[in-house]
Amino acid sequence: MNASLLAAQLLNGLAYGMLLFMIAAGLSIIYGFMNIVNLAHGTFFMLAAYAAYSLAGMKVNFWLAIPVAIVLIMIFSIAVEKLLLSFVYGKEHEQVLLTFGLLIIFADMVKWIWGASPRSLPIPPSLDFSITMGILDFPVYRLFVIAVGILVAVALWYFENRTRIGAIIRAGVDDRQMVSALGIHVGIVFTGVFAFGAGLAALSGILGGAILGVYPGMDTETLILSLVVIVIGGLGTWKGAFSGALLVGLLETMGQIWFPSLSMVLIFLCMTVILLVKPTGLFGKKVST
Amino acid sequence: MKKSLLLFLVLFAVVLCFPLVAGKFALHLMMEILIMAIFVMSLGLIMGYAGMVSLGHAAFFGVGAYFVALLGHHIGNLFLVLALGTAIAGLLAWISGGLFIRSAGGYFLMITLSFGQMLYAVAYKLKNVTGGDEGMPVQAAPDLGWKLATMTELYYVIGIGFLAWFLFLILFSNSPAGKAVKGVMVNESRMRALGYNSIAYKLIAYTLAGGMAGFAGVLYAYFNQYVSPDLLNWLFSGQAMIMVIIGGVGTLIGPAIGAGFFVLLQNYISSYTERWPIIMGLIFIAIVMYGKGGIVHLVLQLTSKLRFKLWDGSAVNRAEQRRTSP
Repeated sequence: MNASLLAAQLLNGLAYGMLLFMIAAGLSIIYGFMNIVNLAHGTFFMLAAYAAYSLAGMKVNFWLAIPVAIVLIMIFSIAVEKLLLSFVYGKEHEQVLLTFGLLIIFADMVKWIWGASPRSLPIPPSLDFSITMGILDFPVYRLFVIAVGILVAVALWYFENRTRIGAIIRAGVDDRQMVSALGIHVGIVFTGVFAFGAGLAALSGILGGAILGVYPGMDTETLILSLVVIVIGGLGTWKGAFSGALLVGLLETMGQIWFPSLSMVLIFLCMTVILLVKPTGLFGKKVST
Repeated sequence: MKKSLLLFLVLFAVVLCFPLVAGKFALHLMMEILIMAIFVMSLGLIMGYAGMVSLGHAAFFGVGAYFVALLGHHIGNLFLVLALGTAIAGLLAWISGGLFIRSAGGYFLMITLSFGQMLYAVAYKLKNVTGGDEGMPVQAAPDLGWKLATMTELYYVIGIGFLAWFLFLILFSNSPAGKAVKGVMVNESRMRALGYNSIAYKLIAYTLAGGMAGFAGVLYAYFNQYVSPDLLNWLFSGQAMIMVIIGGVGTLIGPAIGAGFFVLLQNYISSYTERWPIIMGLIFIAIVMYGKGGIVHLVLQLTSKLRFKLWDGSAVNRAEQRRTSP
């Protein structure tokens, strides 16, 4: 393997890690605060990618398509939370069954509407070029995705540590009952957290569509990897999601080169070792249940 | 326990007499239901009696099935294959459970899910061993010392397997170990305070459930004569979990009823429309919202209401008054 291929794969791994980070961050906050393993989280990611595909088909500008798709997915997620999830809070089996049901329904619906064959989402023309440095080629779109990921991480850090809502969420992850005892309307925060997480997944889906392609099955694929990310990184903090996502993203892309048939085994072994050393994940706190 | 044994006798009669009245299609369907019932009861054991929600249980089923496809024809005897398949799946459950059981709730769910997906990925990617995503045919023929020639004979093997596991679960859930497992689910810290090693009891239940799922997987490989990575996939685990929940968590017969309900429904709807997953998904959501915790619980609730009406309701009222009056 030569240096330029290695650099390209490294960049791919980082970009993929950032996409996973955006999904896992939402999943992690939702689990930490609402105590729900949202199996439909990959569905938000997939629906956003398909929405971006359809918007691109309608010749909508890429920069306009991003907010439009995010808003659509957030509205959808609010409907899911208000109409379905809010009735099963505190019931673990029902939550799993409900989100699993949604996953099945929308996985099939996507096949129905867009067909079973994979689609490709074009890279927006304004970002479709490479920067060349010596022998190394850096596709700008990958760099752009990495930059967005870092921006989201910084925004989440600020949000978590410097704002009132961030403080409420931090407190809620530690002790949810106490937060509601302090007179904070937990129901509204629940809806907000859920929609925010869905919005992050949607952003990831729109940006990721051009790199990964748009296909049925991308929902469960990303869901599983982002669950691994959370387990590795630890729940309830953006730090955990960020470090876990980078690790899994790099392992996945690098593993594809060296052990193409066993990259999932590699990721899983890594997860097992981390769990044995630190059962709450790299940066995890004990989440209130 | 008396009621469960009575139920067992009823099931015994139904399972044994079924081939006398059923046609070929119904028999085939019943075999699938009984295999799924064994698998789903094993998941019901850890969900309902040990409070562990796993989304990787299909791994053990798939390991049993792949064991037959890869090695079954070298071993031959069906009992030996069943015993070995059960043992291997149980061993895998024991090892993986030992690593993960300390993690509770949603964390356990995520870890079991990725464990199952790892095995799925291995079966999917190792094309020259497992045939990859196309799966592989099962060369082993069921052999009980004589070659099983008819479907009815295989049916009886499956039916007796189902009955044996059902009886075993009745005995287990009424044994001191089974009660300790249940106690751990209800209040783990109190059980620990009483001197029980709660992790060990959970691990016993998990190992048993893994072995039982492997047993079902072995039977499935003989029944289907073909295995594919889908048997290891977490979506299959999720389906099994749905069957447990729609049947009724925490009951012995619930998971078996859930399995029957699911298989029949899937067969019925998929014969009408290609879009059956959407309809199934909608039905599951409706069950979550209005199902009162599964078919068995719904039936129990209805019959207790009925009994209340038929029986002398006033006596109950008087007892109620006595209890609430100061």
